[in-house]
Amino acid sequence: MDFVRLQSSARQGSYPVLKPEQAAFPYGLARTGVHEVAEAAFGDHAALTGFVLAAMPRSHDLSILWVSMHSRSMDHGTIRQAVTQHLAGRVPAILQVRTGKLFDALWSVEEGIRSSAVSLVIAELTDADFTATRRLTLASARYGVPVILLMPYTREGATAAEARWRVSAQPSSQNIFDPRALGHRRWRAVLERSRRAPDHVGRVFDLEYDDEALSLSLVSRLATRSSPPGAPDYEIRQAG
Amino acid sequence: MVEDGPKGLRIAAVNPPARALGVTEGLSFTDARARAPQLEHEDIDRAADAQALAALAEWMMRWVPLVALHGEDAMILETTGCDHLYGGEADMAAAISAKMTASGFAHCIALASTPGAAFGLAHDPARSEAPFICAPGREKADLAGAPVTALRLSADASQLLRRFGLTRIGQLYTVDRKSLARRFNSREAADAVLLRLDQVLGLKTEPLDYVYPAPDYAVRLPCPEPLGDLEGVKEGLTRLMAKLTAELAGHGLGARLFDLRAFRSDGSVVSLSVSAARAVRDPAHIHRLFRDRLETLDPGFGIDLLLLEARRTSPMAESSPPLSGDLAGEGADEAALSRLADRIVAKLGEGAVTVSAPFESHLPERAERRLPYRGSLPDWRGQTAETGLRPLRLFNQPEPVDVMAEVPEGPPLRFVWRRVVRKVTRADGPERIAPEWWLSLAAPSSAASLKGATLDWLSPKMDPRADAAQIEKIRTQLQEDARAETRQALPRARDYYRVEDDTGRRYWLFRDGLYGDERGGTPRWFMHGLFS
Repeated sequence: MDFVRLQSSARQGSYPVLKPEQAAFPYGLARTGVHEVAEAAFGDHAALTGFVLAAMPRSHDLSILWVSMHSRSMDHGTIRQAVTQHLAGRVPAILQVRTGKLFDALWSVEEGIRSSAVSLVIAELTDADFTATRRLTLASARYGVPVILLMPYTREGATAAEARWRVSAQPSSQNIFDPRALGHRRWRAVLERSRRAPDHVGRVFDLEYDDEALSLSLVSRLATRSSPPGAPDYEIRQAG
Repeated sequence: MVEDGPKGLRIAAVNPPARALGVTEGLSFTDARARAPQLEHEDIDRAADAQALAALAEWMMRWVPLVALHGEDAMILETTGCDHLYGGEADMAAAISAKMTASGFAHCIALASTPGAAFGLAHDPARSEAPFICAPGREKADLAGAPVTALRLSADASQLLRRFGLTRIGQLYTVDRKSLARRFNSREAADAVLLRLDQVLGLKTEPLDYVYPAPDYAVRLPCPEPLGDLEGVKEGLTRLMAKLTAELAGHGLGARLFDLRAFRSDGSVVSLSVSAARAVRDPAHIHRLFRDRLETLDPGFGIDLLLLEARRTSPMAESSPPLSGDLAGEGADEAALSRLADRIVAKLGEGAVTVSAPFESHLPERAERRLPYRGSLPDWRGQTAETGLRPLRLFNQPEPVDVMAEVPEGPPLRFVWRRVVRKVTRADGPERIAPEWWLSLAAPSSAASLKGATLDWLSPKMDPRADAAQIEKIRTQLQEDARAETRQALPRARDYYRVEDDTGRRYWLFRDGLYGDERGGTPRWFMHGLFS
């Protein structure tokens, strides 16, 4: 098996490389192709889920096939559908599939893509090799159903997916009403691999999610270093 | 065949040569040996017999769809409407008999208008040779010579009848019903005899417990040449499917369960079943559900009959797809979703595909229910006003947390969860969620029972020789147990805190109970969910 050739054909076959000025966040996440979103460290899975839901397109008839493996829901809990509306704008139709085997999970993902019954497939997997991601990529390109694979922090190595993100939870923003309380949630997403925008690989996005406006915004690196609780930022307080 | 009885070995079953020598069921083995010294014997295996009978009943489905088992050695077939397929009742009975003989089963066949009469005639030793067909209305006359044991009575009842001198069913006809009932010491036994007699004569109906309930629709495909490979089975399934779906369409129905049964020529049966989330009758879709499973079907020496049954049928709304997206209703295409769910369920098993439905409850773990997908998505509209902030991911079971620096009536400063120390940098709360008292209406175990007999009995005064320290230890244990019980019995209010640690991860912690609520010991802390 000529691995290099296969990899390069995957690059040429499915994804037209965008010009640097056209490529922008979120680089087709939840819109086209297969994207991998991996934890930066064990325990970031909840942040990962929030990031993915917040970055999804706001569509009024979103239906999701949500495939999860038992071991991952044991470690990180199960998703609460009522809460997704705070991130996705409204409660999407979610069909949940639970299985203990990676093979069955991948099969369900592919079946979901091929059925074209859902507008997005999200899978919480323990692993996926190059062949599996390649197969999902081809199916996704053919049937036009985007796929997001939520991977554990151990995820490394080759992938046929369009991009791989590495997401970690960050301390939340300053709460202007109570400095000791939690503010808007923040995540750091690193574009680790990208076939569509290879020039942008390595970019770091510090994101903040506004619960009230339901909007995901970029924050500057300086602002993410929020002041420690107990020492209120008076300027912000006056502004608010 | 022998088995262990309360008074030594007893005869459980005998073959005709032994019966000719005077050996009967129920005889003790020593007596039987005395009558026939050359008797061969073996232990009876009733479990294996029951299994064999069940397998035989399954095989009988090729003749008639409705088969019921009776006792350890009898089967009742509902032949109404089936006999003409085999050229009439006599031909059918002869064909079944020939097949049974070929397979080496000793059998007696009788056909009658009631299950009881057929059973009685088949168990009449006077005519156990050829299949006997009782003409309608002649049950009473034909059964007159049969022994009362053929009435399906309990051993006690038939023994009692024998003691009265009533050994033939015909003798019961003349006895006055009331005086017959009076002879039994219990009302149940008398009722049983009269009921069986009425059932035999068709005065009372007898519902039968069929091995497989009658399918709503069934089609069968006999194969003149046994099918030896899967290609043939697939082709057969396609034909059956076309027939069945045409029939369903004619009645405007769809089905949610399809059973495929393949009868092998060696007498064994294999079956496959697929289920659908909503009623379907699209042959291509059902065929696809069967496709992966068909490979597990082993044709063996060849399959000579395929049977496809539709169960759980319900009316199906026929609707054409909307012409354009603008005309389509809001939301997902539920027909497409249920087709997808069917395929996943066919592969991963029942219950693999679920949906979450809102449920009115204050308790976070009860506010959402996971239900198997049944073809319709739960309505989430109007569920927007949720109290408080809830975590995106919730644990099925709250996980205990060790709190290291505890502040009364406040969030912890440091805690250990999954063996990692986490330092709290920000927190807000509490959000107090009271238990739903209407769920725990059972009275809590009263304090009086704590000082009940068990604890009093453990007083060292009662037995001076006893080890006082040991007794004290047991007493402490008992008291602790009693206290733990009250803690479980009474749900406690929970104080929930949103907490963020120094790495930026956000947790949902709760303290189970309030200080001094007298519903157990010191409140404990639990991790219940993770915020994104």
